[in-house]
Amino acid sequence: MSTEEDRQAKAREAESRESARLWRAWRTVHEMLQDRGYTLTEEEVTISLDNFKSQFTGADGSINRSMMKFSANPSDAMMKRYSNLPTDREPTPAPPDIGTIWVEFLPDSNVGIKQMRNFAQHLSSNNFHTGILITTVNITSAALKIIPAVAADTRIETFLEQDLLVNITHHDLVPKHVLLSKEEKTALLQRYRLKDTQLPRVQTSDPVARYLGLRRGQVVKIIRMSETAGRYASYRLCV
Amino acid sequence: MTTPKMPVSILKKATNPATNSSSNSRDDRNRALALHHAGLIQQRKDIELEILLSMETLMDYPLATFPYNASNPSPEDAKTFKDLLWPFQPSDYDALLVERNINGHCGYTLCPNPRLKEEGGGKYRVIYKSGKAKDFKVVEKEELEKWCSEDCARRALYVRVQLSETPAWERGAFQSLGRIDLLDEPKSDDVVVMDGIAQMQLGGEERDRQQKTANLALERGDRGTAAQSGLVDVRIQENQVQGNAQPPSLDIDNGDLSRRLDDMHLALEGHIPTFGTGRQISQDEEDTDWKL
Ligand SMILES: [Zn+2]
Repeated sequence: MSTEEDRQAKAREAESRESARLWRAWRTVHEMLQDRGYTLTEEEVTISLDNFKSQFTGADGSINRSMMKFSANPSDAMMKRYSNLPTDREPTPAPPDIGTIWVEFLPDSNVGIKQMRNFAQHLSSNNFHTGILITTVNITSAALKIIPAVAADTRIETFLEQDLLVNITHHDLVPKHVLLSKEEKTALLQRYRLKDTQLPRVQTSDPVARYLGLRRGQVVKIIRMSETAGRYASYRLCV
Repeated sequence: MTTPKMPVSILKKATNPATNSSSNSRDDRNRALALHHAGLIQQRKDIELEILLSMETLMDYPLATFPYNASNPSPEDAKTFKDLLWPFQPSDYDALLVERNINGHCGYTLCPNPRLKEEGGGKYRVIYKSGKAKDFKVVEKEELEKWCSEDCARRALYVRVQLSETPAWERGAFQSLGRIDLLDEPKSDDVVVMDGIAQMQLGGEERDRQQKTANLALERGDRGTAAQSGLVDVRIQENQVQGNAQPPSLDIDNGDLSRRLDDMHLALEGHIPTFGTGRQISQDEEDTDWKL
């Protein structure tokens, strides 16, 4: 084999490995949105590698990240889970703080303030409630500070491409996490006569909390399988 | 956190009615303390947002174009740069540098040049300071690519060392007043002309001429070339004579002896220095002579 052919073969191999990586990240982010309760079709979630390639291969033969973007809407069940309970003080509670979500893979080799501002701009001009930005590199510290600065307008979550190569919630050692609705949370606290701050905690930066997009004050039910006790549930407050 | 409707926890001790009034005042005190701390947190958030917005402004600086450059920034840009920089910690300054580099700019805020892009791989570069093989240093390529030139690296670091490590929301009033100096301040017009003369290519006699120009500038008391060669800016100003000159005399008989005795301890070889009646030292003159 000549060195030229050798080089080409290596380039092809690297390209197909890259395609497979991106396909896995694409699948994971779809599963993630489905698990959170957004409406996606089964074909969208379980897309095959070949279909993925044919859909996102650019003119140069490699996967074009800037084509990898989509939006999804919350299902009725999700809207219900995020709805606020009427209280004596507020008989007509605020509508659920949830809406259309926008997901985008960013090809840039550096992600700073400018890229983050552009993303925030895109979200607010298209009225997207939430945005997920998936990058190949770490975002600069200054750019991350934009997220709380625009939080009143739009919710931004960021993920590294490499963190989505596997779906962590599919791992055997990760127990099932289920988000409680406000109603369920209130019932739980009343039943055990607890204040929510008396529950064990989970950080918003915890990988599973990030996967589910948990917010401060939400409670998750964690269901474990135990050889001795069978199925048992515990609860954690997101802080 | 606690709402009035919250059921009484079994973990909490029941309030003794006798101490009710004192617990009320304690509640008030606690509330005041909580409000105070909330205020501090808000102040911190405000400053952090201010830093972020300043960073967004400065990451595409300078606004002014030719003839201004990093060694001669426009006065407006230099002023904005200094004004916006006050709450920055060195880490914020480094973050600004990263953002400028991402946008392809030289790391020094007042430099309009693009940053260096070294061709080829490798982690390190060898920099020769002069033609001699001995006189070199090894620099990380990444470090080199932050700037357009070594001069800009020096200018940027000159600013960085003046920034306080203390977060702006913890600084006292005194510390907040510190002002930033630039290695290359904006130049006045005649200094630019002097620099131009000094840099002119004058053939074989260039070096000689430059020396003479520098000497002339020194003699005239101009800044610029003299200051750049490391000499202190000395300006001689003759005292203005007010009134007629009189030879000193020992006229004890005429003068008030007791008043003279009051002043005697101040006398230096018969002369009593006075303060406040001499020339006023202007802000300008006071500050410039140590500056390079
Ligand atoms: Zn520069």
